[in-house]
Amino acid sequence: MKGRTFEVREFTLHDGPGVRTTVFLKGCPLRCAWCQNPEGLSFEHETMTRSDGGRIACGCDWTPEDLAEELARNADIMEQSGGGVTFSGGEPLAQPDFLLALIPLLKAKGIGLAIETSGYAPHETYKSVVSRLDFVYQDLKHHDAEAFRKWCGGDLSVVMRNVEWLKSSGVEHAFRVPCIPGVNDGEADRRAFRSIAGDDRVEFLPYNPAAGAKYPMLGREFPLRSLLPS
Amino acid sequence: MTERIKSLLDRTFDKEQRKFRRDVDWKPLLERFIAEGTSDEARARMGLVEMLAAETPAFMEGERIAFLRTVRQIPDLHSDEEMDERRRNGTAFGEKGVVFNLTADFGPAIHDGLGARLGAIDARLAKCREEGDAEGVEFLENARLSVLAVLDLAERYRAEAEKRGLSEIADTLSRVPYFGARTFHEALQSLRILHYAMWCEGEYHCGLGRIDQYLLPYYYADIAAGRLDEDGALELVEEFFIACNRDSDLYIGVQQGDNGQSVMLGGLSRDGTPAFNALSRLCLKACGELKLVDPKINLRVDKTTPLEVFEAGTELTKEGLGFPQYANDDVVIPALQRWGYELEDARDYSVAACWEFLVPGCGMDINNIDAVSFVGCLDAALRRLVKERGDMSVSFDDVKAEFRGEVQRRADALVEKYRHVEILPGPFVSVISTGCVDRARDICRGAKYNNFGIHGTGISVAVDSLASVRELVFERRLVTLSELVGLLDTDFAGRDDVRAAAKAAPKMGNADARADDIAKWLIDFWGRAFDGKRNDRGGIFRPGTGSAMYYIWHAREVRASADGRLSGEPFSANYAPSLDVPVKGPVSVVRSFTEPDLRPVCNGGPLTIEIHDSAFAMPDGVAKVAHLVKFFIDRGGHQLQINTINRATLKEAQAHPELHRHLIVRVWGWSGYFVELDREYQDQIISRVELCA
Repeated sequence: MKGRTFEVREFTLHDGPGVRTTVFLKGCPLRCAWCQNPEGLSFEHETMTRSDGGRIACGCDWTPEDLAEELARNADIMEQSGGGVTFSGGEPLAQPDFLLALIPLLKAKGIGLAIETSGYAPHETYKSVVSRLDFVYQDLKHHDAEAFRKWCGGDLSVVMRNVEWLKSSGVEHAFRVPCIPGVNDGEADRRAFRSIAGDDRVEFLPYNPAAGAKYPMLGREFPLRSLLPS
Repeated sequence: MTERIKSLLDRTFDKEQRKFRRDVDWKPLLERFIAEGTSDEARARMGLVEMLAAETPAFMEGERIAFLRTVRQIPDLHSDEEMDERRRNGTAFGEKGVVFNLTADFGPAIHDGLGARLGAIDARLAKCREEGDAEGVEFLENARLSVLAVLDLAERYRAEAEKRGLSEIADTLSRVPYFGARTFHEALQSLRILHYAMWCEGEYHCGLGRIDQYLLPYYYADIAAGRLDEDGALELVEEFFIACNRDSDLYIGVQQGDNGQSVMLGGLSRDGTPAFNALSRLCLKACGELKLVDPKINLRVDKTTPLEVFEAGTELTKEGLGFPQYANDDVVIPALQRWGYELEDARDYSVAACWEFLVPGCGMDINNIDAVSFVGCLDAALRRLVKERGDMSVSFDDVKAEFRGEVQRRADALVEKYRHVEILPGPFVSVISTGCVDRARDICRGAKYNNFGIHGTGISVAVDSLASVRELVFERRLVTLSELVGLLDTDFAGRDDVRAAAKAAPKMGNADARADDIAKWLIDFWGRAFDGKRNDRGGIFRPGTGSAMYYIWHAREVRASADGRLSGEPFSANYAPSLDVPVKGPVSVVRSFTEPDLRPVCNGGPLTIEIHDSAFAMPDGVAKVAHLVKFFIDRGGHQLQINTINRATLKEAQAHPELHRHLIVRVWGWSGYFVELDREYQDQIISRVELCA
């Protein structure tokens, strides 16, 4: 069995406590208009072309054993700093068998594990992966079903069922809202997100104006560009 | 920051101090020296005496620590023709020939006062006369007159302060520098004068050394006596640090900002106990509040240093100051001992100016006397192999042997080149250094340690190139060695495939053993290249991993290199991954660069890591970067600087310098204002590997 990543990045600073490596798994069932990592959407191998003509291969296939070994090379500084590995994407839960094979290998090496997920996964999948992890960053992209369908291309109830389970699961977690101007950043939106989160922590992440930078490298247009008032 | 400090800071930034300045044409003085055949010793003394006599007491409003440079030019003591003549006659000089890259023994001088030094000079002078030691007499007479010139200017400052009703300054100057300092304020005033006087004597790259050690007794005494509290001390430190930025535009090195005003904090004391103290912390705090390029902060740490000290240092990194630069006691102290430094001296190390390790007061080392270009050596080695042996029966081991032989030949040539080095006298700096008065000899005749430091430039480019040769020529057989050497002359024309393969070959900085093993081998033999060699001042040669400005010069001397670098593209500065090399991240960089045993190459030369400023957007960014520094130290790294940069900001500053005059960047061993650098240096900084997260 192999898993597919589009990046394994060291020393990520926004993906959990301590010094971490983030594994970006390739492929996502959602199509959020503001997605910053368009090369993480497709499950297939792709090539990005830089403006200077340089080409970047996106997509690297790993056996769980190989990836665990690569990640464990930094186990020393992860341990020293209380850090670990974070699974991100794409949507990491879209490759559940790979994750379920990888997780015990990393745990055996004493590495702390976190995930950043949209929560867009079958409930049983969500439960089986998330319950094996130390920390969950659960995205809240929208609180309204219609808006979620429009902006992310999915069924919000799938996410909400997982969110409700997470809140009472005992797994440490925080909610993250990617604030998109005019989409989900109003006062009423904030109240709605807080109401979903209840007493749990919510991080409102400011919109990154460079979010669309990688689309031209894939020969695509940044969807948000045409949807947002300029 | 108090209102007074804020005001001093603003007015220093507005360059108010420059209104006191005037030009002096020192040419007649030089002509007189030449016409009269004046000795080096007399020139040094007369230069200082004339310089200080030409200075006019000047005060910034609201200041409590006085002394400003008011004459722009420092006298030239020798003409270029005179120096060239000497060079032709077989004398080598370090840079301009004068004492430089040196930290005086400020602590004892502040403690004793110059009056006590005069007494010691007089006593020694009598003995020299008795013994008929003419050289001793000459030195001590010059030393005496130099000290008197400094005291005379201090007295003129005092009188002027009194006249203007600046009674606190007048009171302080009635005490120091003649008498030993009693208070923290007096100690800082004394330090300001001594440091200022070194520059006026023509010394440059004058470091400040371990101020948190030698000023600590005054700080504690004031606190104990209730004369000063922590806030008051912070204010004084801040005022002193601001003062370091007033005259610094007159202290020009290769570029603006390259002035060597370094401070070393923390580390072990001479007796081996941990020395990071309340004053070290106060100095870090002052830098964080002021956000100035001077003084440049160095921080000594080791395996046992608590994380909070790394965090305190990282708070400065976060401000984008390009410092602190970290030095690892676990590596540097044994390295200095191995080179013959006594343990207590080794524990007392500081940096000369940028990063070359020096023991203040007793080191007259010339830490950057020359450099070996590793890329140049590899280029020469490959060309020689191709010319002499073609492609027949050449193995990668032959390449390594030829390269090593070339490095050794160049190292040997430097030993020969610097067989006879002279340093021009500095009577005043001698008075405030250890043992010169006792020996009745100028520090230019030698101090306790008289070693020469040799930089090694382009380590990563050379290692990457060797890794590329091994892969492309000997493993994949994509090209022959002669074809590859031919391609270096044409920037790989017509063979994009070869260049792409070279770019994709193993690189130093990715924790890839296929490159790191070569680095270990290179650093190991570089560390032994000068074993058994001595200079004629009784010192040894200290190889290092620094580049100083040589990284720009050496990159111009070679065409393309086998790692895929094109002609005209720069090397990285110091000990860092090649520019624009894709690396996994800073953890792998640290891992690669701490694989070699760095003790034998401890002349100085930091690993440089650039981190994108977004790293500090999250509250725990400081702790994470602090962990990275600790990881480097725990793994046996020798010296580290971390820069926070944002490439977009740098490009914007290049386009609109007027909007970014406060933007600070680390260049090689020093931080400077980005907009004041030449374009070539700006571009090099922009192209450094930025490890963003």
